[in-house]
Amino acid sequence: MNSWFKSGSPWVWLSAGGVSLSLISVLGLLWLIASRGLSYFWPADIYQFELLDEKGKATTVIGEIYDRERIPTKQLSHLNLGFDPAQESIERLLVKTGNRELVSLDFRWLLMPQVTKMTKPAELVVIERRTNGNFYGYVESIVLDGQSLGLEKMTELVERVEDFQSEIDELQKADIGAINYQIERLRLKKRKHKLDDTLTAERENDIDQQVATLQAEYLVLEKQLMIIRDQVSRDKLVVRAMGGEILQINFENILNVTYNNKLSVFGKISVFMTQIGHFLIDDPREANTEGGVFPAIFGTVLMVLLMTVIVSPMGVVAAIYLHEYAGKNAFTKLLRIAVINLAGVPSIVYGVFGLGFFVYMVGGSLDQLFYAETLPSPTFGTPGVMWSAITLAILTLPVVIVSTEEGLSRIPLAMRHGSLALGATKAETLWRIILPIASPAIMTGIILAIARAAGEVAPLMLVGVVKMAPNLPLDGNFPFLHLDRKFMHLGFHIYDVGFQSPNVEAARPLVYATAFLLVTIIVSLNMTAVSIRNRLREKYRMLEH
Amino acid sequence: MISVSPKILLEPQVKLDLNNLAPEQVALEIKNLNLYYGDKQALQNISMSIPKGQVTAFIGPSGCGKSTLLRCINRMNDLIDTCKIEGEINLHGENIYGKHVDVAALRRQVGMVFQRPNPFPKTIYENVVYGLRIMGENNRRVLDEAAEKSLRNAALWNEVKDRLHDSALGLSGGQQQRLVIARAIAIKPEVLLLDEPTSALDPISTLTIEELINDLKKQFTVVIVTHNMQQAARVSDQTAFMYMGDLIEYSDTNTLFTTPGKKQTEDYITGRYG
Repeated sequence: MNSWFKSGSPWVWLSAGGVSLSLISVLGLLWLIASRGLSYFWPADIYQFELLDEKGKATTVIGEIYDRERIPTKQLSHLNLGFDPAQESIERLLVKTGNRELVSLDFRWLLMPQVTKMTKPAELVVIERRTNGNFYGYVESIVLDGQSLGLEKMTELVERVEDFQSEIDELQKADIGAINYQIERLRLKKRKHKLDDTLTAERENDIDQQVATLQAEYLVLEKQLMIIRDQVSRDKLVVRAMGGEILQINFENILNVTYNNKLSVFGKISVFMTQIGHFLIDDPREANTEGGVFPAIFGTVLMVLLMTVIVSPMGVVAAIYLHEYAGKNAFTKLLRIAVINLAGVPSIVYGVFGLGFFVYMVGGSLDQLFYAETLPSPTFGTPGVMWSAITLAILTLPVVIVSTEEGLSRIPLAMRHGSLALGATKAETLWRIILPIASPAIMTGIILAIARAAGEVAPLMLVGVVKMAPNLPLDGNFPFLHLDRKFMHLGFHIYDVGFQSPNVEAARPLVYATAFLLVTIIVSLNMTAVSIRNRLREKYRMLEH
Repeated sequence: MISVSPKILLEPQVKLDLNNLAPEQVALEIKNLNLYYGDKQALQNISMSIPKGQVTAFIGPSGCGKSTLLRCINRMNDLIDTCKIEGEINLHGENIYGKHVDVAALRRQVGMVFQRPNPFPKTIYENVVYGLRIMGENNRRVLDEAAEKSLRNAALWNEVKDRLHDSALGLSGGQQQRLVIARAIAIKPEVLLLDEPTSALDPISTLTIEELINDLKKQFTVVIVTHNMQQAARVSDQTAFMYMGDLIEYSDTNTLFTTPGKKQTEDYITGRYG
């Protein structure tokens, strides 16, 4: 036993155990969010339940099974439902019934003993809609221009509406959006001239004329929009809900119609893929509880990239100063300790700092100096994507500084001497020899910074993230990148959907799906940085002596 | 005593009077040089003249200050914070420790090769033209010519001409050391300092480098530090023997190795200590 201890094996086992424990928890976490998140997109079977309650009343419920659990019979005894008290527990199902316009809650608990019959009729349909969530039920007929038609035309009509809807989106966002943007700029231009006292009659005339032209264009587009809208609202779908109610759903409200129970495995896979695609490229709907997360993906990636662009030069320059130029004295040591400790400051503190210093002070001053014409509505004096990127850059600065310094100190003296002996100055040596060799270490710092920044939410809530941003920070209107705009972020989206949503139960899978997506994005951002680093490492590999 | 290579013996030996060199014969003049690392004195009142176009060797036991003296010549000791230097080293009659000396320009005139080969992690070509790029030369043709010429001078051209744009780290140790020499001579220095250039190399590479040194002295003044006495005898025209920071004896190589003037020198070269 004693010799076993001396051999060092216990430590090997202990460390191996530690490693496996960490690996298992990471993989378990990934598995949990992936399975929960991805199942959201899988077309589930739709069941029809026949219920008989304790008073002998029969009802029909249609929906997907969302969850099942067992509860003790005792817990239900006060309801006098007439269950056998000898039975210890009863199974109950959580069923998503949709049809929000008919019932206020689209989820419902069913007690298994009350279910008399459970079937999967092939004719059951799930209709994904723009408003009011999913509809579950039977399709009765299609009404086209007031005439009833057969069901075969369904796909064609759904596609027709889809085409029109994307046309409407295009018109509204790109064309009309651009005109509105230009009109707003002209208004600001006029106001600026007025403030500067340079508004001549000629200028005013010119601007007014331009506005008039734009407004004329706008009217044309609006007319087009109206025509398409009329086209879209032409057709209706007549459906029957679980209670036997007959409803009419406008095709303009329909995103897709799926007969889940009829689908083969391949059909389900294809629906699964399309759903994931929609999740990735669509805008959110219904207070973020439905639809896609594209603006949040875009905002997260853009903000992280901006942050990287800001933090890398700052961190590298600071590290170079600390390592190469600062005197080797107590003050430098103190400075270094301070930098390292900055990494330990809670992130919300950075958020408060960013709000107070960047947004209100710097942003407020910028507005007064350069955007006086838009005041009192602020341009940069309000949270936005630039301030978020800068705040996170400050937050991750210590990481970049520390790893860059580490890299600088690992470079053999012989490299510096070799360069200096060839008549290079210190700065030339740094630029041509030291920095390239240190670049893998710098990349390590940037990787750590990205990993930290992409997952950070708390400070962003103060300096730029919003629940719903009407416009992306990047669009087709000059100057294309709008650093003053607020943006959406996947991390905040998770929080918002999970805890601020009006329909928590419906949003739960979305939370998992979004979390999984966030992890995927951070991992892929990191992987990109890691592969860049590996290439640099290969290029500047030092000869091992 | 020491077998001196016949090649050197056969060459016509122009005997120089090292104490009375004509000004045009002098490459470097060291005057009353004292050097301190903190409180410790590492060089004591060194005075010597290094003749032009010849190979001068510094020998002596470890820690005698020979490398330190060599590094004084292109001011590499400036990089050591605690180092303090008194005295003069004159290049073209100008003190390199004077107030308005541009150290980078000095190092372009006085090149240096270190003990261990230290090629940059760049291509062979970029290593050779590094000094020229630093000087602002970007003309592709000029760089190509200089690279070829330096590599030929360093007896490396035939081995690397087909892989100029491969990493220099793929070369063997001996090739790397010749590459570093090519890099140093590409900027056409007047003086080339070699700090134990073969101590990390195998015997065959050592031989190649020694032959190279013989060729180099046609164009440059070479100062070499070595702890290998045979090497000093083989390659150098003048030899300086140092001990404990003192310059004990400095004369032409044949004289120093056959009839040393001082007891200490004799003890050292006969292997009684060191």
